[in-house]
Amino acid sequence: MTSLTPPTPPLSELLAALPDSESESGKSGRESARSDLHELLEALGEKLARRPVPTGRLRRLSLLGGLHARIALAYFFHWVRGWFDSPERRRERLSETHLRAALELIESMGYLRGAVMKAGQTLANFRDLAPAELVETLERLHFEAPPMHYSLIREQLCDELGGDPEEVFEFFEREAFAAASLGQVHRARLKCGREVAVKVQYPGIARTIRSDFRNLEALMLPARLSRDWEVNRAQVRYLRRALENETDYEREARIIERARALFHDEDGIVVPRVHREHTTRKVLTMDLVRGRHVGDFLATGPSQEVRDRFGEKLLRAWYRMFYAGRLSYFDWHPGNFFFMDDGRLGIVDFGGVMDFSDDEWELMRASDRPLTTGRREDRLAFLREFIPGEEPSDEFARLADEYMVFSWSGRWSDEPYDFGDAARLLHGMRLFGEMTRRRFTRAHACSPLLSRFEFAYRTFLLRLGARVPVRRLAEEEIGVTGWPRDYATAGGAAS
Amino acid sequence: MRVTRETRIATRARILDAARTLFAARGFDATTTRDLAAESGIAAGTLFNYFASKEAIATAIVRSAMRRAEATFERRSQTITTLEEDLFALAAAVLRELRPCRGFLRPVLEAAMSPAVRDGADGAGEGDGASIRIAYLELVQGLAAKHRAVTPVETPLETPLPTVALQLAWTLYTGVLSFWIDDASPDSEDTLAMLDESTTMFVQWLRSRRPGEPEKGVTP
Repeated sequence: MTSLTPPTPPLSELLAALPDSESESGKSGRESARSDLHELLEALGEKLARRPVPTGRLRRLSLLGGLHARIALAYFFHWVRGWFDSPERRRERLSETHLRAALELIESMGYLRGAVMKAGQTLANFRDLAPAELVETLERLHFEAPPMHYSLIREQLCDELGGDPEEVFEFFEREAFAAASLGQVHRARLKCGREVAVKVQYPGIARTIRSDFRNLEALMLPARLSRDWEVNRAQVRYLRRALENETDYEREARIIERARALFHDEDGIVVPRVHREHTTRKVLTMDLVRGRHVGDFLATGPSQEVRDRFGEKLLRAWYRMFYAGRLSYFDWHPGNFFFMDDGRLGIVDFGGVMDFSDDEWELMRASDRPLTTGRREDRLAFLREFIPGEEPSDEFARLADEYMVFSWSGRWSDEPYDFGDAARLLHGMRLFGEMTRRRFTRAHACSPLLSRFEFAYRTFLLRLGARVPVRRLAEEEIGVTGWPRDYATAGGAAS
Repeated sequence: MRVTRETRIATRARILDAARTLFAARGFDATTTRDLAAESGIAAGTLFNYFASKEAIATAIVRSAMRRAEATFERRSQTITTLEEDLFALAAAVLRELRPCRGFLRPVLEAAMSPAVRDGADGAGEGDGASIRIAYLELVQGLAAKHRAVTPVETPLETPLPTVALQLAWTLYTGVLSFWIDDASPDSEDTLAMLDESTTMFVQWLRSRRPGEPEKGVTP
């Protein structure tokens, strides 16, 4: 039997093989595309809502190699390349072609509902940099599109909790109020009267992800003789581990409980309580967190001071989980944070949180020296630890060093770091894109997730326009690690 | 001695209880009508006064489970707003009630529910096979009528559903049941996916039909 899929080239080759942007621009279609957007989305949403998750390996293999996935992938890289354009040039590209490609992307994500959708969600954070149509479409998918009808939810809950939702809960809202990547969330009330959010997993999603990654590894096989084979394979396996973690809601419940124990009332950071008696591997019940998402919060016209306070809470929460909990909250999706009216910050969705192995933690410890001193030689020494195999070339080291400066410079000054400075973020994206295009992608297995985190959290804070004293926060939180830190801080005395 | 109606009902119930017990404990194939008669406390020949065959007994058990599922579904259906979800919910309720019958559903499907079986040919003295099909298709007709009122004008549902639609509905339904019997996926999630897709496909096809369109190859 002939293969169902075309050969998949390395990502860097995809970048190079992108269609020429000139042929894809088309100003005339832009306005009509915009006006048709909502109508098209209605139809698409209806279509997606009724599609089951295809779990069979062969079927998924054909889908992964199919037109939608290929267009989605090409579009993604087309868009990445767009980062190097001027704002005017990017605006020119907001054409009907973009819209159609975005819809194809969403369709393929909604249908595959596995790794592809997860990757797509990350794109939604690039609000100021991605084509507006794409972001609107993605946000709609996050917050509005209900992919499972209630009768399917009922079946899931019956199997998992042993009874109909109406029997198990005092009240259970039929319509989902949030669509997560691997499930959807419903409001409910426990019999004790407590308001809760119930996350219900798509049937078959865990098998879907396993199937995706088996396919991906199979598709990678032709590249096994390449220099970076082991590194690439390790990175894919790390991603697989991260996504598989997300399908285990009992694990997520444990992570939430660990994280919740790290915060106190005075922190003003709310991690919801898990209700274990209503939680299984596929159903997660936790307190309902009320508040505004970032878009609605910004619409209230908060002052710079208020935005800064929330920015500080966001980073405080991240550092606390990192240093005290050995947890990394990678998933800076706008739907995961709630800006509460009383000034507190609510955080939900801990499925994407990684808990570090001892080896990984040791690597994080090694990063503390350059993070603290800001010295170039410390950065380069760390780079050699972070990149497996042969010594990086001079050019690789130069770009990687520039990227570290972009990523870490907030730690080298007592001044609040202005995350609202879009030029900084664009600079980092250009560096990242340059490294990808030049195939300088050899790095530790956790590198793709770290990159995703780096751009996701910065884009979130860019949108918030927050100025945050990064060094002070980090120094306040790091003590709990007990790391010997006998090195001088950047521009200051020994730490 | 004249057997009263009450006695017949009680004996029939004993046979069905015995069958549930023995089918679960030994499996359908390993259980004989003689075993069933003994477990029911009746003579072997007497059993045939009630059921024509072992398959007929299994069919009656399935019919009973389906009645319970239909009652459950009718309560739930009141809040369902789309035909696709109604059809899904009906079949899902049936699958749940049929769980104890999964081990002997295949002979029932083959003997009494296959689209190829003719009315009255299922060997069940009281026509349970036909009764299962009629009950299901009446429900489907009722659901089509329920949703006709809320169907967008540009895609009206043709009601009552034509014969070809009913035949297709029955074929899909029994196909899902047949798939489920051997579905090894956790919590039968592959069956749920198939059910979701087949109900969607069926309703889309219904909506694509023009009212009054002649039924190709179907004799009225």
